[in-house]
Amino acid sequence: MDSKSKKYEIIEFLGEGQFATVYKAKDSVTDNIVAVKKIKVGTVEDAKDGVNRTALREIKLLIELDHENIIALFDVFGHLSNISLVYDFMDTDLEVIIKDSSIVFTQSHIKAYTIMTLKGLEYLHMNWILHRDLKPNNLLVNKKGILKIADFGLAKRFGTPDRLHTHRVVTRFYRAPELLFGARAYGPAVDIWAVGCIVAELLLRVPFLPGESDLDQLTKIFTTLGSPNEETWPGVSKLSDYVVFKKFPAIPLREIFTAAPNELLDVIGGMLNVNPLTRPTCSEALQMPYFSNRPPPSLGSQLPIPSCIRDNPEDREQDAKGQKRKFTDYSEGGTQPKRLVFDNFA
Amino acid sequence: MAGNFWQSSHYQQWILDKQDLVRERQLDLQILSEEEYQKIGIFFSNFIQILGEQLKLKQQVIATATVYFKRFYARNSLKCIDPLLLSPTCVFLASKVEEFGVISNSRLITTCQTVLKNKLNYAYTQEFPYRTNHILECEFYLLENLDCCLIVFQPYRPLLQLVQDIGQHEDQLLALAWRVVNDSLRTDLSLLYPPYQIAIGCLQIACVIMQKDLKSWFAELNVDIDKIQEISRYIINLFELWKSYDEKKDIQGLLNKMPKPKLQPTR
Repeated sequence: MDSKSKKYEIIEFLGEGQFATVYKAKDSVTDNIVAVKKIKVGTVEDAKDGVNRTALREIKLLIELDHENIIALFDVFGHLSNISLVYDFMDTDLEVIIKDSSIVFTQSHIKAYTIMTLKGLEYLHMNWILHRDLKPNNLLVNKKGILKIADFGLAKRFGTPDRLHTHRVVTRFYRAPELLFGARAYGPAVDIWAVGCIVAELLLRVPFLPGESDLDQLTKIFTTLGSPNEETWPGVSKLSDYVVFKKFPAIPLREIFTAAPNELLDVIGGMLNVNPLTRPTCSEALQMPYFSNRPPPSLGSQLPIPSCIRDNPEDREQDAKGQKRKFTDYSEGGTQPKRLVFDNFA
Repeated sequence: MAGNFWQSSHYQQWILDKQDLVRERQLDLQILSEEEYQKIGIFFSNFIQILGEQLKLKQQVIATATVYFKRFYARNSLKCIDPLLLSPTCVFLASKVEEFGVISNSRLITTCQTVLKNKLNYAYTQEFPYRTNHILECEFYLLENLDCCLIVFQPYRPLLQLVQDIGQHEDQLLALAWRVVNDSLRTDLSLLYPPYQIAIGCLQIACVIMQKDLKSWFAELNVDIDKIQEISRYIINLFELWKSYDEKKDIQGLLNKMPKPKLQPTR
């Protein structure tokens, strides 16, 4: 495996996160441009743990997956705890695009990003995989305008009823209320919630529910979308971290998203339903009128490209935004350590 | 277990051909007879099982570890890596992949030492010779030889569904068939047949043992009955081998005869 490291010629440094460093590289055999993610060797204690668990989770899941809207893993190489993963090279991510104030989104752009995200996620859920960390920063986009879901470091298979999950997942802004209430048995609805937040962010161009703490996150959710009770969300009071909130009425979405068509508000409203059982599945969401109504989604080639990669590629290294690429494990604000607390149910 | 088996790496890359398996083992089979090779495989499957039980792992993890072990030697000679080292390494990797709790490397080594000393002293007179660094190096080598295919489908879930389909009160049948599935891990079946077929084969054996007539239920299954017969034959052969063989007496000789890596760890 070690000899493979020579197969990839590093072109440039792309970014660094807590657990990995990412390079743009060329596959010297095929001439393809790829992204090489080198997992950092942590502490001496980590080294004793062998192949990094986060990397292992990505490897085991991505090897089994094949979909246009899911990042592809081409290769794995390295030695001992020094391991590198080779992926599709992606030029940018949705967070960079959202933050680029020179880009104006049309309804067709928003529809196209939403459809690509939902199709990738539908495929994941069909394969009984929860992503558990959807956010704009993990939705990579290439120059052709294809969006791919990446970062499977928190992903997990679901569907075994007796197997509980940790609720300490998903970057806070995108975390569903059932997770914040400490649910241990949850499902694809947590990913749907995150997509709802991302679509809202496409409209607002800032995070929709930027909570400053877990409690503040719940407050932001309920003051905006209305607080739940046993009637609107049966069973909510039995969740382990449930706290009673003052009764807040929901703000009509029309007042928040003034420019959005009604069909889109239906999509957002469905996905951001506080009760997880009433959120649509990916397939149900894709069947909603919004996606078949006019205007049609933009073709990939018509989707906006952020200024940092649109300009002279030579300047890119100097461009701070160009550096701000995915694979950073932390984004400002709602942060959450990538490392999971492993629950010993064995 | 979840996901789509037909699109999995398990189905697409790791259902092997009997001929290929024999060819890959040529080197070892020049030194060992096919039966001796199988006995060594059984011994190390037992080692993995005991290790897993001592570490309180779920049967699912133990089964995955056993399949990793099988897959590794489906491509490599026994002299490539000492199976005494590969066995705990498979347990280590499988426990991480299945995400059922963490086993620390030092606990794994300690468990290997006690198991060898207390349960397998008829096979090994010396103490367990490997340390953490050996396991870590071996883990990477294992990952590479598995082609990074880590998700393994097991017959347990299809077995549950099949028994549910037979009827409500079939706990005895389920328990017995479950044990036959465990036994099937001592054969090459997991390398040659899809898990749902193995589940049916094991169920058939369990019915024969319990003298339970489910012919009409089997007849309605939409499966290749020839395959099921082949699977049953593997298991019957295993039972016959067990009857005629005393592991405690013979295994030391076999382990001495087994091809070994050139570099042995310093003891």
